[in-house]
Amino acid sequence: MFDLLDRLRVWWSRGRRAPFAVSLFSLAILGRQIAATQEVEYACDDVYRLMDQFAEAVLRGDDAAPWMPLIRTHLERCPDCRAEFEALMQALRSPES
Amino acid sequence: MSSRRLRDNDEWISALTSTGQAQEAALADLREILVSGLRRGLAAWLEPHSPQLVSLAEEASQEALVRILAKLDTFEGRSKFTTWAYKVAIRIALTELRRKQWKDVSLDQMLEFGSEEGREASVVDPQTGPEATVEQWDMLAQIGRILQEELTERQLAVMQAVALRGIPMEALAQKMGVERNALYKMMHDARLKLKRRLAREGLELGDVMATFEGSNTPGGRVVRGGSA
Repeated sequence: MFDLLDRLRVWWSRGRRAPFAVSLFSLAILGRQIAATQEVEYACDDVYRLMDQFAEAVLRGDDAAPWMPLIRTHLERCPDCRAEFEALMQALRSPES
Repeated sequence: MSSRRLRDNDEWISALTSTGQAQEAALADLREILVSGLRRGLAAWLEPHSPQLVSLAEEASQEALVRILAKLDTFEGRSKFTTWAYKVAIRIALTELRRKQWKDVSLDQMLEFGSEEGREASVVDPQTGPEATVEQWDMLAQIGRILQEELTERQLAVMQAVALRGIPMEALAQKMGVERNALYKMMHDARLKLKRRLAREGLELGDVMATFEGSNTPGGRVVRGGSA
């Protein structure tokens, strides 16, 4: 029985490979992302698990944890996690938090 | 002046896992904290005093309380309890916000930019890039060819939707019926595959980056893979 990931894999790899064109603008953006790709990257769940610790560390100016660069890299790539992190930082900027 | 009681992590856990009045008081306090935090946190997305923001903050806080109670045993105490609770509430609120914002847009519509761009634009015009050298054009053409050989149109369309159009991965994932985490992993695999292929072809990434940093690349110009 297919689980959700199998379904995504099927959907992801289906489609023609016939010639298609790519604009220079696309190449520029995608090229930068490809060039900056790391062998090991945190996915959204990894970042979510650590986001509260990360936000507090950022507020303290503490950059010591070895996983922090992996989170920073993910936040640069993933607009969804970046939005959640920014919202969390805004929520924490208050005396009551 | 709020009559809310200040609690440390242990006191939050203790109160929330108790019963009766102690738990009710802790839930009421936590709800108030979450609503207030969401109103600050979501101000970049919705007008600060708008009914939409107030309503979303209250609904998301309520749902967050249920989720927090169910997941209390996963709180490891590595941050303040309220920071962890904010994180849960913000995920719920932004997921709901994205769902509402994209509910009338189909998956095909989300992806059509990439495919339409591909269909419409099929001309290589070296004359239109005054800043691009022959070598840069050649490199872009090679990258275009590799994209074409390694990706399906659908894969490219998803990557373009996120990278170029700013469509949230959460919105795409919802339409696809999968978790955003799985979608991110698929996209990472695709980027990694392309990066390795570029390396095998002897295309230095430093050169690639330099090409992109230096080139003026409006959206209408196109390189057809392998034809330049």
